[in-house]
Amino acid sequence: MAHNEIETRVLKHSLPSRLFHWCLILGFLPAAITGFILWLKLGNETFINLAMRIHIVGAIIFTSAVIIYTVCCLNLVIAFMRRIFSWDSRDLGWILIGGGYPQKMFLGKKITVPPMGKINSGQKIFGICLLFSGLILMASGWILYAFIPVSPKLFIYWSNRIHLVFGIFMGLFVFVHIFLGIYNWGEFKTMFGNGTQPLDEAKDHNPVWVEHEIEPVQNTKSNTKVLVQ
Amino acid sequence: MRGIREHELNGIIEVNRKACKGCDSCKTFCPTSAITGKYGATHQINSEKCIFCGQCLVNCPFGAPRDTVDSLDNVISRLNDNRATVIAIIAPAVRVAIAEEFGLEPGTLVTEKLYGALKQAGFKVFDNNFSADQTIMEEGSELIAKIRHYMLGESSEHHLGALPQFTSCCPAWIRNVELNYPELIPNLSSAKSPLMMAGAVAKTYGASQIWAVQPETLYVVGVMPCTAKKFEVSRPEFTSAADYWQKQGGTEHYPDVDTVLTTRDLARLFRKLNIDFNKVSEFTDNNNPFAQYSGAGTIFGNTGGVMEAALRTAYFVITGQELAPLELTPIRGLKGIKEATLPLKDVKTGKDITLNIAVVHGIKENLKPIVDQVIAGKSPYHFIEVMNCPGGCINGGGQPINPMGTSWIDKYKAMLPWS
Amino acid sequence: MASYDYIEKTVKVSRREFLGVLGVGAAVLWTGAYVATDLIQDRTKYIKMRTASLYRDDFKATVRQSHNNSSLNKMYKSFAGEPLSPLSEELFHTKYIDRTKLGGMS
Repeated sequence: MAHNEIETRVLKHSLPSRLFHWCLILGFLPAAITGFILWLKLGNETFINLAMRIHIVGAIIFTSAVIIYTVCCLNLVIAFMRRIFSWDSRDLGWILIGGGYPQKMFLGKKITVPPMGKINSGQKIFGICLLFSGLILMASGWILYAFIPVSPKLFIYWSNRIHLVFGIFMGLFVFVHIFLGIYNWGEFKTMFGNGTQPLDEAKDHNPVWVEHEIEPVQNTKSNTKVLVQ
Repeated sequence: MRGIREHELNGIIEVNRKACKGCDSCKTFCPTSAITGKYGATHQINSEKCIFCGQCLVNCPFGAPRDTVDSLDNVISRLNDNRATVIAIIAPAVRVAIAEEFGLEPGTLVTEKLYGALKQAGFKVFDNNFSADQTIMEEGSELIAKIRHYMLGESSEHHLGALPQFTSCCPAWIRNVELNYPELIPNLSSAKSPLMMAGAVAKTYGASQIWAVQPETLYVVGVMPCTAKKFEVSRPEFTSAADYWQKQGGTEHYPDVDTVLTTRDLARLFRKLNIDFNKVSEFTDNNNPFAQYSGAGTIFGNTGGVMEAALRTAYFVITGQELAPLELTPIRGLKGIKEATLPLKDVKTGKDITLNIAVVHGIKENLKPIVDQVIAGKSPYHFIEVMNCPGGCINGGGQPINPMGTSWIDKYKAMLPWS
Repeated sequence: MASYDYIEKTVKVSRREFLGVLGVGAAVLWTGAYVATDLIQDRTKYIKMRTASLYRDDFKATVRQSHNNSSLNKMYKSFAGEPLSPLSEELFHTKYIDRTKLGGMS
């Protein structure tokens, strides 16, 4: 890391992860929007029916993406789970100052925050919520889709309730997620670009990750860098 | 409106738009495809097609379809009226279901408690099982006359319908025939349902010989496991008792049965009158002739029950001997279409005949093949019992709603809900 | 082609984690299957309980055939005569209508 760090980049989101993220967008966003239409019964019969079809197509994309990603990239899923479930005193410190975001947003000043890994403490909380809500939402949704006439009524009633509550929760969750993603523009570019991030930006946000979890790319990659520059 | 006559109740089952999630669950239970509304959107019930069986109401996970006919206040005002004699005609299936409304184990048989609670509320009991027995006598005699005429070649003094004979106890089934299979009307037994017989008996024989009151002061309440009964009692032709008395100088007009409460309605009535069903004292009503019934009458509430009861009597009348054993196991149970054959030796002529019978319930799935055979003239059966609801009246649309659901026998769903 | 100098170290799934994932997956599937069979077996439970109760009512009855209901026979004897008698036909039988022929409000 001795040479010019501005030009040095690190691959933060691998191609499978970025594809998975795209599938979640294509699956979840239509499903979430139509979900609210279905909940509030907005529009006429044909429109609601269309919303229902889109909702189901979104659910199919979402669920298949989850299943395929879990099977093909089990190590990435495991890494994600290791990260969201590992907590120490730094996380407490981070949460106490809100990750420095309130100070940055409302007071315009940057304060030092405890060093974070690839996922910061706020993202850990979000990650845990995402993991469980997503699974619950998928399970209850498929129960409502396929098992209504063959299941006890109380079971369906609660599936519907749970689907609604977690749907609203996830809808708000995604709203916050999009906001923070755009606020951290560098992160946005990384996820929707080629997955790379300047090393110094990564060092700033994820110092522990940069220190312990990355390694230099072997051989030819530096040539590519020169060519692109 | 098509499908409904003047004075007939309409729109007995309606969907609560707020509760409906558009899940299409009700459509998979509706025998006449009367429910419209696309998947996801709020559903409606088309009253012209609806046979008011209430299966959607019993099976909706969200409790969206509701029974809109509420005559509780009318009944209570009659109970408080000294001039009125209020009769409760209680169906067989009510006695094994109402306990659920008061926290007892499903299926608890509470005949005596029910009598006691009704007595405490001010009703006089007319057990519909009495009329179930009477239905067997009328419907069975009709069947036997048809057998003697068509199978044994005897001449008949009665105007006889066609074989196979269909049972006529189920008002949803009757309305279904009238709406969708009018060519089967000659095959329907002309016998009224037990409830309507009970109403006619109560306001003629009951009024004059048992209770000794003026028939017009009787207020007859059917307590039924059924929402379609609410429609049945509103049929304008059911004024036999008033017609009978008019021939003898009476002037009043009144229906044979004034109103119907479902099992759920009756439970609400008890609560409203502060009758604690669990603590009510039992009452056997031994001196009441209308509380005497046979075992054949009580099984009317089960699928196959009417058939079993009819065969016990038909067997006796034709062969001169009691059927033994009485239990006809092939027509018990929840199989969609049940068949049996019963060999009989006619005691009068010594001829052998074989009676083929079929029992159909849960008509959404099971009716079509049977009916198609009859319409095509290829039915091998002589007598066919049809009950609209899966399992028979015990699972009717007026029964306590079990939160775990009760009636999804042999259900499946197309993989694509909108297909 | 993306260009980068650093890449995340490959994450290796430990044997323990792999078995854990398999275990959780199997547990979820097994519980689901168990619950499903349980529900399917129970789906007609309440109908069956009510049905059995009515058959019990029949079984314990002293009179088990309609033609042996003495109270009913008394009604016929003192009032309606016999089944299918003219009075029985009048009071206890009915006619049906073809509802496909009903127009608007008639």
